[in-house]
Amino acid sequence: MDTSQGIPNFVRAIWRHAERQPTSPAFLHDGEAVSYGQFARLAHAAMTGSQAAGLMAVTEPKSPATIAEVLACLTEGRSVLLPPAGTSAVALAALCERAADPPKETCFVLTTSGSTGTPKLVPLLGRGVDNFISWAARQFGIGPRSVVLNYAPLNFDLCLLDVWATLARGGCAVLVDAGRAVWPGYLSDLLASTKPTIVQGVPLLYQVLAKRDLSFGSTGHVILTGDHAPAVLRARLSALFPAARCYNIYGCTETNDSFMHEFNPTQADHAQALPIGQPLPGVRTRIGDDGELSVCTPFQAPGYIGDDPTGRFDGAWFRTGDLVRREPSGLVYLTGRNDFQVKVRGTRVNLEQVEQALTSVDAVLEAAAVTHDGRIHLTVHSLPEAGLTPLTVRSLCAERLSLAMIPSSIAVVSTPLPRTVTGKIDRKQILRDIERKAA
Amino acid sequence: MNTTTLITTFITDQYLPGTSPAELDADYDLLANGIIDSLGLLRLIDWLQGEFTLDIDDKDLTPDAFRSVSAICSFVEGR
Repeated sequence: MDTSQGIPNFVRAIWRHAERQPTSPAFLHDGEAVSYGQFARLAHAAMTGSQAAGLMAVTEPKSPATIAEVLACLTEGRSVLLPPAGTSAVALAALCERAADPPKETCFVLTTSGSTGTPKLVPLLGRGVDNFISWAARQFGIGPRSVVLNYAPLNFDLCLLDVWATLARGGCAVLVDAGRAVWPGYLSDLLASTKPTIVQGVPLLYQVLAKRDLSFGSTGHVILTGDHAPAVLRARLSALFPAARCYNIYGCTETNDSFMHEFNPTQADHAQALPIGQPLPGVRTRIGDDGELSVCTPFQAPGYIGDDPTGRFDGAWFRTGDLVRREPSGLVYLTGRNDFQVKVRGTRVNLEQVEQALTSVDAVLEAAAVTHDGRIHLTVHSLPEAGLTPLTVRSLCAERLSLAMIPSSIAVVSTPLPRTVTGKIDRKQILRDIERKAA
Repeated sequence: MNTTTLITTFITDQYLPGTSPAELDADYDLLANGIIDSLGLLRLIDWLQGEFTLDIDDKDLTPDAFRSVSAICSFVEGR
């Protein structure tokens, strides 16, 4: 194997496992094991045969072959753009154009929802990924005997732990099919048959598993991340995973994980909110006068690709937009956001991006997106003669936004949206109207 | 009500308030257009089991069977 300069350590480590332990399973997927030897053959087949910088977009659904394609790109020195599910062909072409010239040593280019109507591009350098994998592997004891559940789609930074750290340490990743990720029968069966030692996922994963009265004794580490986990759900974890240590991990795509809190699920119902805990080793943090958390991590991106009008990257620091409070104990708690960013089932969505996608359409005069009960509600103001209906607006959304950003409910109105005294769209009033209708 | 009307009506009632059943084309992609998300799919499967007295085990299913009203009809009629 060519091990030229610039190839990240984790990529070399995967090839080493393929040489030394070719029969060990790298993946459990769709009822079958795929060995490191088979994985290496898939990656060889996906190679172009030349070392070349540049960018490749990988859009296929998660599978050993897709991950092999990513490995092939990284081995040959290319960066891999991983767009979110439901990115239309037009949107993908625009992303590729903007990401065409990523910083040197970029492995992955991930996207996050931005306020300007287009997603932001986050380049993750090999060095940062290697640093992250060193931390994760040591923290959770990831090694050749580890079986790690991979719940998130490939474009989520969570995969740096459950796919890439696992492979870098010779472990086995269990790939959850995105289409069936909330089906209790499928998921419970998968865990019962593959016996993962480490499980990481957004709270939704545990909500689905809790629908069945099963318990998974093989799991030693349970990681909650991406969103707030209610106390009632945390209380179920000790029955689901009787042998596991439980962690709440906080991070974002730009910096990867930065805080962690280990908690005892049997005490979960006593505490109202779960803290994000304390900074990981090597992570520096500061809290602004307004309570905004800034972090600097050994894993973080050097900045966005292209413009950053919001100035979120400030030298070595990244302003997270999350408002926090630090207790005298040193534990940090999330208290809110200072912008229009929300979490929709673990995915970051900037409501301004949803609105701008619509206001760029000629027939749309105004658009307001709000969230209620974890779902996006969009109200569009348009002239009756334009003939827009909730369904046609929905199709417009699907062309312009990734799947997680498409609103759950859409209303088209022919009267102006309510405004505040300062002339801004009155989202609070719109939200009150939606709550009134839902009641 | 025939199967198609029944299913179309359920989908507009549940997932598309403000849209009449007549507006929803039988081939409109319910998944790619974000009408039915993965949790919504569970709700749909629950309803289909009750409405058409089917015994559905989600271990054997793929989401494609529920991509459109016509796909759901074929699924129900094939049972």
